Amino acid sequence: MKVELSGSELIEVKPEDLWKAIIDPEVLKKCIPGCKDVIAVSHEEYSMKLNLKVGAVGGSFEGKIKLSNLEPPNKCTLDVSGSGSLGTGSGIAKINISKNNELNSIIEYESLGEVGGLVAGVGQRILYGVAKHLIKKFFSEIKNHFLNDK
Amino acid sequence: MKREKFKFLSKDRVPSENSRFVSGKGNFVADIDRPNMLHVAILPCHEPAAIIKKIDFSKALELKGVVDIVTGDELLNAIKPLLNGLDTPHVKRYPLAIKRVRYAGEWVCAVVANSRAVAEDALEKISLELIKQEFVLDAEEALSDKSPNVHPDHGSNILLEKKFIWGEVEKDFDKSDHILNYTVKWGRNSTVPIETFGVVAEWNNIESILDVWASIQMPKFSDHIATVLGLKGNDVRVHFDVDVGGSYGVKRGIKHTILASYISRKLNRPIKFIEDRLENMRAGDAHGPERKFNVSLAFDNNGKINSMKMRALDNAGAYAGRAPFQLGKPIGAIVGPYKISSVEYEAISVTTNKAVQEAVRGFGQAPTNYALETGVDKVASYLKVDKLDLRKLNFIKASEFPYTIPSGSEYDSGDYLTVLEKVFKETNYKDLINKRDKLRKKGIMAGVGIASCLEPSGGNSSFEPLLNEKNKTTTWMESCQINVDALGDIIVKIHTTSSGQGHETLVSTIVGEILEVSPEKIRVSRPNSLESLPGNSPVGSRMAIMLGGAAARAADKIKSKIMEIAKFKFGVSKDNLIYKNASVISNDGNVLTWQQIIDLCHRQINELPSGMDPGLASFDIMQVPTGGKLPKNNKVHMYPCYSFEFHLVLITFDPVICKPNILSYTVGHDCGTVINPSIVTGMTYGGVAHGIGAALFEEFVYDENGQLMTQSFLDYLMPSSNEIPEIKIVKHCTPSPHTYFGQKGSGESGYLGAPAAISSAINDALNPLKLEVSSLPIRMHFVSDLIASHENNGKFKK
Repeated sequence: MKVELSGSELIEVKPEDLWKAIIDPEVLKKCIPGCKDVIAVSHEEYSMKLNLKVGAVGGSFEGKIKLSNLEPPNKCTLDVSGSGSLGTGSGIAKINISKNNELNSIIEYESLGEVGGLVAGVGQRILYGVAKHLIKKFFSEIKNHFLNDK
Repeated sequence: MKREKFKFLSKDRVPSENSRFVSGKGNFVADIDRPNMLHVAILPCHEPAAIIKKIDFSKALELKGVVDIVTGDELLNAIKPLLNGLDTPHVKRYPLAIKRVRYAGEWVCAVVANSRAVAEDALEKISLELIKQEFVLDAEEALSDKSPNVHPDHGSNILLEKKFIWGEVEKDFDKSDHILNYTVKWGRNSTVPIETFGVVAEWNNIESILDVWASIQMPKFSDHIATVLGLKGNDVRVHFDVDVGGSYGVKRGIKHTILASYISRKLNRPIKFIEDRLENMRAGDAHGPERKFNVSLAFDNNGKINSMKMRALDNAGAYAGRAPFQLGKPIGAIVGPYKISSVEYEAISVTTNKAVQEAVRGFGQAPTNYALETGVDKVASYLKVDKLDLRKLNFIKASEFPYTIPSGSEYDSGDYLTVLEKVFKETNYKDLINKRDKLRKKGIMAGVGIASCLEPSGGNSSFEPLLNEKNKTTTWMESCQINVDALGDIIVKIHTTSSGQGHETLVSTIVGEILEVSPEKIRVSRPNSLESLPGNSPVGSRMAIMLGGAAARAADKIKSKIMEIAKFKFGVSKDNLIYKNASVISNDGNVLTWQQIIDLCHRQINELPSGMDPGLASFDIMQVPTGGKLPKNNKVHMYPCYSFEFHLVLITFDPVICKPNILSYTVGHDCGTVINPSIVTGMTYGGVAHGIGAALFEEFVYDENGQLMTQSFLDYLMPSSNEIPEIKIVKHCTPSPHTYFGQKGSGESGYLGAPAAISSAINDALNPLKLEVSSLPIRMHFVSDLIASHENNGKFKK
């Protein structure tokens, strides 16, 4: 089944700092909900391990993220694919970081994903809600990360 | 042999199985543990179609407690493909996917571990490398040349395509006043028992024997296992004393059992595999028919239906399973209870990238009944006549039996009009129509539905040679053994598992009736397949007729021997002897008691007629009555007995939310002589509930990406006591001339007509708005949208 998500967040750092953070495996590992590991395979490719719970079902997910159309510190496209006991997932997300004022950035995202297996078959009713929640949690962790940095 | 008065038969007696189930003492496969046993969990692939490039399970093998991991490649070299009964050598099916996966959820590899939990953990450590392939989900699309082939070697997606013409179809169409064409669809649903499939397999290296405990309902199960594993038939011992927690067809479990048995032989350890609900729903044997019907009916101004053309396209799923043959059974009752003189029937079964279909209650008869009944309603509506009157006009009359239908089957007996009269005494049709009209005046959507359907029973397999000319099977026997021990106690052996049909009650009642011994005193034993005589398990609504028949004949043999002994003992002819209350009384007052008979048989051969064997035992292997012939000119007689059911229902719903409310449900049921009323009533109640599920709730739904959206009871909706109304059952008995007591089958009762009746009622409710629904399950939110759209002249948008 298809999952479409888009939104934006205000983060109180400069675009350059935000960019650095979201391509840093250590930061990602800390901020992505359920993330067990992030390894940078190259500058443009990461591998990732997650443990997630979607409603009644939980399990593992191993995936790859490829970055393309890189325009640091403003734009990139993420190509995600993976599978695990939760099922399969793939998707594309477009990220756009812009300067709000001297101290703040706005990050906008637009993504289209497709999931299969357990997560689609059992978690479908709440999948959209869970996905939104996970993204929200990711950004709140990013914000925390910068707060702690300060 | 017909009997006017019965001692135990047809009496309200508590089924003997009840006490063990209500006290929680059933012996299910999950209860069986063997020393040193290992457990299995299955890795599914979630792509609807893909080539398996690599399975990396090295990390899973490292996990503590994991003993082995088996893939399709390993099986390919070790076992034969499963048998499908068709002539399709390139549609091969193994327990695990070989080289490619053909539906989302298909089993890719099996982890064997010390516990199921460890096996499941190990699944997470296996990685699959796949090359995605094109897939097809829709049956019509699968027929097209442009569509990807589910089995490329097979060359197309067609498993079966056969057109039958019985009688002068074109002539009858030409001479009829009207022709009506319509399309209806039956959604993929099933029976969904509480117990999923389970098996324990144990190979014994020393004795070269495979023991199998499984929750099965499958004919020729041990033969199938032996053939696929390359064993001798007598190397496989299937234990029939396992209680099966519900089935109605879906407990085939052959791929599960072959897999567990193969692993057990390989590792020389007992293997237990109990499906979880997810495994069951997406890739077990859970799915039933998914069918599209294109029908043309030719009829006269007065409502007489002359001829029918029916095209049934069945979406079999990824492998052959039992789907193609489920298009065959309905041939035995293709015209339902109506006098339709000619029929053209085109049966097409195609593979798609969905889970495999297996047998479900009625074996394809319920969808066909729904298609035919919908047509009869449509003819009535077209001619503006009452749909009940139209049925009455077209019914086969009681005086016209035996009645041969165009496809070659001979209906044994029936009295449809009397059943209807009895139903109307309970629930008056006119009153129900008046009630409906009053409700309509209040702005409530209300509809009266009816359905009159047949249940072909006495399970034969004559559709197999009809659909596959290479198959020459003409018997589908069942058997029973009786032994009266040295203490005079009776042991009856039956050779099958039971999934709630009450076989123990059936045979103890019948043997008790004939030998005039209280059924409570009779022990029924379900030995293993090595100690059994040939049988074909409880499929095709056959056990009252076939197992009951074999038990009666075996009991008759016991009685004959007793009479021979009495004749010899008293020196009188048989005519001067009466068997009564388990004793023989001669007309001159001599009595041979049961105890004396036992003493003579077990201890005093010198007192027996010369040449008579000692002991008091018998067996019977019974052929299906009226069966035994191969098809001729594409026609064959299929079933010995035809039970009849008539459903009358009133449904209401509000025009906005459309929550259905079944205000009245009455079903008239005629299955000949009833062996145990409580069992037949239970079958019919459950069957109606099952049919309401098929009509309104249950469907295995795939999204456009080939993902199963209904893998649990969150999404696969089952009717509960909230949705099932009070059901009034009206019984009638037209005995069958072909069975021992006049009994017919009832294992599919209720389910065969309820979906048609519910659809009839909802369409009746929509009739004033000139709206209709023509696919099952009927989604009431769709009905709600339909009404809203109508009220807004089609401008309504969701």
